[in-house]
Amino acid sequence: MGPTAPTWGAFLLYAAATFAAFGYLWSKDARASRAMLVLLALGVLLHLAGFGLLLSLFWSYPENRWYLPITSFHGALSFIGLALAVAFLAVESSHRLGVLGAFVLPLVALATGAAVTWTEPTLAPLDERLRSYWLNIHPVLLMTAYAVMANGFGVGLALLLQERQIKSRKPSELCYRLPSLDELDRLLGNIVAFALPVLVLGLAVGMVWSHHAWGRVWSWEPKQTLGALTALVYGAYLWLRVARGQRGAKAVYLSMAGFACVLLTLFGAELFSGRHGYLGGAR
Amino acid sequence: MRLLAFSWSHRSGDAAAREALASVPVERVLAELKSRGVSEAAAVSTCNRFELYAAGTPAAPPDAEAVLAALTELSGFPVSAGAARREGAEAVSHLFSVAAGLDSIVVGETEILGQVKSGYEAAKAAGLTGKRLNVLFQRALYVGKKVRSETAVAAGSYSVPSVAVQMAESIFGDLRGRSALVLGAGAMAELAAKHLVGRGVARLSVANRTWERAYQLAARFSGEAVRWEDFPAQLETADVVIASTGAPTAVVTREMVERASRARGGRSLFFIDIAMPRDVEESVHQLDNAYLYRLEDLEAIVAKNMEGRAGAMAAARAIVAEKAAEFEAWAESLSTGRERSLKHSEAGR
Repeated sequence: MGPTAPTWGAFLLYAAATFAAFGYLWSKDARASRAMLVLLALGVLLHLAGFGLLLSLFWSYPENRWYLPITSFHGALSFIGLALAVAFLAVESSHRLGVLGAFVLPLVALATGAAVTWTEPTLAPLDERLRSYWLNIHPVLLMTAYAVMANGFGVGLALLLQERQIKSRKPSELCYRLPSLDELDRLLGNIVAFALPVLVLGLAVGMVWSHHAWGRVWSWEPKQTLGALTALVYGAYLWLRVARGQRGAKAVYLSMAGFACVLLTLFGAELFSGRHGYLGGAR
Repeated sequence: MRLLAFSWSHRSGDAAAREALASVPVERVLAELKSRGVSEAAAVSTCNRFELYAAGTPAAPPDAEAVLAALTELSGFPVSAGAARREGAEAVSHLFSVAAGLDSIVVGETEILGQVKSGYEAAKAAGLTGKRLNVLFQRALYVGKKVRSETAVAAGSYSVPSVAVQMAESIFGDLRGRSALVLGAGAMAELAAKHLVGRGVARLSVANRTWERAYQLAARFSGEAVRWEDFPAQLETADVVIASTGAPTAVVTREMVERASRARGGRSLFFIDIAMPRDVEESVHQLDNAYLYRLEDLEAIVAKNMEGRAGAMAAARAIVAEKAAEFEAWAESLSTGRERSLKHSEAGR
């Protein structure tokens, strides 16, 4: 049994929860929705256990002590999967919109699945340049923001589907199962309004770290630039929403452009490499 | 367990007996039954239905004659002739059907569930429910909810106004606190307005070329009458617009809606055009956050729902039959002394 075994288990539970979510969307059988929540909650618990196991292995190197193992691609993906699932549970507990599971849980399963199938945890001493308490703050803030934004992506997808249903004048069963346009629109707005400040804070903390480590606040490095672009796009979405009353499909497209920036920031850095490459992140 | 049920409903046809029974407060019915030695009984009384359930044991079965005599005396009407009498399993599945809204005039309506609940609570308060009736009514409420959440019986709307309301709810969610604008004051407009107000629409404005008629319709819904020239300004605040004027050309133009939408801050605007010829320009539907449904769109949805109705009814009846059988098995197990668990069968399937 490898160190990722519990995370593997979490992945399988997430995948099962995803199927249950689609089952609920398909049948509107409340049992499927309950099964989804139970599977997801179990997945989160197992995932936490997996993270704990990884942490203990990572900290067996004394120089790694107290730093989070999120510098590897595995650590980052796994953390995002976990944060996504927790963010979904938080949204679900306040809004009780079980159908949204079908739009968000695939992302949970995808992130966690990617972590366990094509990356491996780095169990080696941490790069000296990364040994800083900022490591526990800067990426954690950003990944939390990404996870919440991913929930927003799911909500946006549901909104687009519902808008198409209503514009078509021939609504199918799906129309009655999805939450109303207004509800989805409000939820998307709230999600972005919550995640954007977290994202901005994460970027600001990154600048402080950069200043400490390299004496420069900004260096036009790809990941940094993309991160700023992400904040700009989501900022534009919020501004248009609040000041101009921009809602509906067009606003959703803008929020999705923001999420595309998130994905590019997250995975693009691997392509462009540089200071933010997942150092030592074994494939 | 011995269960006995008497029903007077729209199905039995005898409206006089129903009306006589409906005029008697349920508390008085229960008190009278108690004084005549009935140990377990509950009544469900609505404007088009009166149901009485009495339970006992094989040793002491409920006395049908005493029940009917009590009801006849209280209502001052010979009610026994128009009563549908059911016993045992038949009575159980009847109550479950009633709770599920399958026996209602508007199939799937949700009000009946609350009425069954208050009937049960009255019986409980009167001390007329023992273990059997308690479990029976709790199961009925559970089945009522289950049928509504798992089948499309309640979701399906089978008339133009109710489909219009359903679409409004797909756009706005809860309609409470929303505002509606009615253009024209015909019978169709009134019917649609009635449905919207019934779902909690808070502000209703009526605009009509003849001020008098606008005023009359507005008064019926404690709404506000608007001068015909002023209705375009109302487009800035309304959420739902019902158009049914007799105008020969469209009265709501794309420019009008575009102008209003600048002040709307992106809020959705739902047009229901039931006028012939059309009242709202077709191109309004292409505007962002504006949705236009015409009479034929709503009729097409009604037709589609009707097709699916048979399947939904079959699914609902299957749930009722399954849960009634479960309850019967439980009631049976009481007399053998080894009580079966109802919870178990609920989770296991």
